[in-house]
Amino acid sequence: MISLRDLELDEGDYPLEALSLRVAGGEIYFLLNRPEQANDRLFRLLAGYVRPLRGEIQFDGRPPAIAGRGVPALFIDRVVDPVEFETEARLGDWLDFLCAGGGLDRRRVYETLLLCNFHDRHLRSRVRDLPPEVFKQIYLAVCLAPGHGNIVCNDFIRGAAKGFELKFNKLLLQEKARGRAVLCLGYDIFYASEIADRVGFVKNGRLLLEIGASDLKEMDIKDLYGRFLT
Amino acid sequence: MRAFFRFEWRRIFREKKNLVSLGCILLLSIYFVLSGLNEYRQFQVEKGIFLRFEKEKVGHLISYSQYGGFGFRILFEASPLNLFFVNSGVLQDVQSNIDTFEAIKVESSFKGNKLFLRRGFFKDFAGVPFVFGSLLMLYLGHLALVSPAHLRFMMGRMSMKKYYFLTTAARLFWLNLYFAVLGLGLFLLVRLLGVEFSPSDRLHFLAYLLVLVLLLDFFYLLGQLTALLAGFRRIFFLWFFVVWFVCIFLLPEISRISVFSQSQVLESAEKVNLEKFRTLMSLEKQFRDYLKENPSTRLDQLRKMQKQFAVQFINSTYLVNTGLETRYLRDVERVITRHERQSLLFPTTYYQYLAGEVSGKGYQGYIDFMNYIMRLRSRFIRFYLNKRYGENDAAVESFVKGHENIFRSRSRLPGTAGSGILLMALYGAALCALGYWRLRRLVLEP
Repeated sequence: MISLRDLELDEGDYPLEALSLRVAGGEIYFLLNRPEQANDRLFRLLAGYVRPLRGEIQFDGRPPAIAGRGVPALFIDRVVDPVEFETEARLGDWLDFLCAGGGLDRRRVYETLLLCNFHDRHLRSRVRDLPPEVFKQIYLAVCLAPGHGNIVCNDFIRGAAKGFELKFNKLLLQEKARGRAVLCLGYDIFYASEIADRVGFVKNGRLLLEIGASDLKEMDIKDLYGRFLT
Repeated sequence: MRAFFRFEWRRIFREKKNLVSLGCILLLSIYFVLSGLNEYRQFQVEKGIFLRFEKEKVGHLISYSQYGGFGFRILFEASPLNLFFVNSGVLQDVQSNIDTFEAIKVESSFKGNKLFLRRGFFKDFAGVPFVFGSLLMLYLGHLALVSPAHLRFMMGRMSMKKYYFLTTAARLFWLNLYFAVLGLGLFLLVRLLGVEFSPSDRLHFLAYLLVLVLLLDFFYLLGQLTALLAGFRRIFFLWFFVVWFVCIFLLPEISRISVFSQSQVLESAEKVNLEKFRTLMSLEKQFRDYLKENPSTRLDQLRKMQKQFAVQFINSTYLVNTGLETRYLRDVERVITRHERQSLLFPTTYYQYLAGEVSGKGYQGYIDFMNYIMRLRSRFIRFYLNKRYGENDAAVESFVKGHENIFRSRSRLPGTAGSGILLMALYGAALCALGYWRLRRLVLEP
């Protein structure tokens, strides 16, 4: 379960005002918020890189932590530019390092990669030589590898091809079926209506509306977009 | 930990541009070492000619007064280690002439403040890692932590402290190993090509390699810190170049200018020579006055008087002049000591100072050379006076025994070597700690 209680941030242009929500195990909650920098900041707050002014964050009753195995949730950030991950090593070497140094389960990494139709010839390439989509597959596989805890995802599939989006959705639904709580951040209301069980609308740092996915489908999405996300 | 070492090995040595850079450093180093070796061999040949010439010269002299006028030359021979530092020393192709004149000559104008005027630039083994190695290390340091996005990604998998320190340690380990193997390999190559090194030479070369590695580590950590301070922004490359230029060119140049201005307080060497000449001339005047007052002195009495004046010269004028020269040398030594202490302040300046001393052609080599000249000169003057006034019309016998006219300058470590190494290590540790502090601020927002 993911629980946010009276979360406040008053710094910069992206404040938060008493944000409270709960995402139960086996549920996908989509928090719609604009602009994307506000989501980035909230994501870092949840990941423990930013300290809130007030309020509490809990993942299955544990506070956020950013130290390896102590991390209480899986965080999947948006990949703005894969070149930011260019280590000059081949992908296979990078994966070996992450598995050995970060204690990841290699089998789980490759299971996810297989599910994404990843071709092993890419393991001999460097990030700079890969299509962004392929790097996202690796990134996702590494993020999901610990195989425990809840999931927080920041606008990960934006700009991705439909095929990749479908594979990602499949993976999220698998994780949901395993009883994990999934909190997605983003501003794609159409995507939210496809994947989420519940959707929250945040405007100017305040959670203004929470509705179930079934209700969302009956509502005028364009109107909601105009009211909350512009 | 092994995962870090394996991964960083692959990051560094499986990347083409790194391999090209490291290969260029290797080729340039081999080239400069072989060129140094060539110079060393050339010097040995010229030394043989020099020895033969000096030996033959004495045979052609008719009298000791001629011998006193011509004197003999002393050749400065640097330690064999100099072949690694042919352009890093202070002295270049120096020799001196010992005769009965009062001025001590060190040819190539390396005396007094002119000593601080000329420096070699980088075209030797010590210069290759200094210029190109430092640039490469700065570059590899800036690449180490990749980007803020990568750092945040890694933080989800391991602690920041572990990632930062183990990545730094692993990269430094491989790069240090590369440069250490490069230095030791070339040392071994030169050894196999027939150059003998004494145990102290070996030790000094190892100490030099330690300082080199610390200097390169300093640049690596500086590159890492600069990347962190600039927040990995694109304009960083400008900073990168500025930092490198300041460290490699500007600071050593400021240090050189500073020591040159410090040396301006030294009296001119010509003034010292003139003072010595005046002292000598006052004695000569006494002798002339005596002759004027006693114009009918007999030849045997005259010879007796000459001998008396020679004894008087040794016991007074010569001692005064030697005192003047020694005092002057001590003044030069004081400037050198201050320069040594000043060069300690920054790794690049200290590296240059140490390279000069290890080559045997540094400031300390100069002091040793001058002391040797003065000792030999003192013996020669006594020999000359004794032979000229004591053994009339005897055949000229060489003063030089064996290879006394070759001054072998030892490779040496500066007295501040321990503190220099410690300071360089502290610089590195401080940069590493600052980098970690900056990393925390960059990744963890308040």
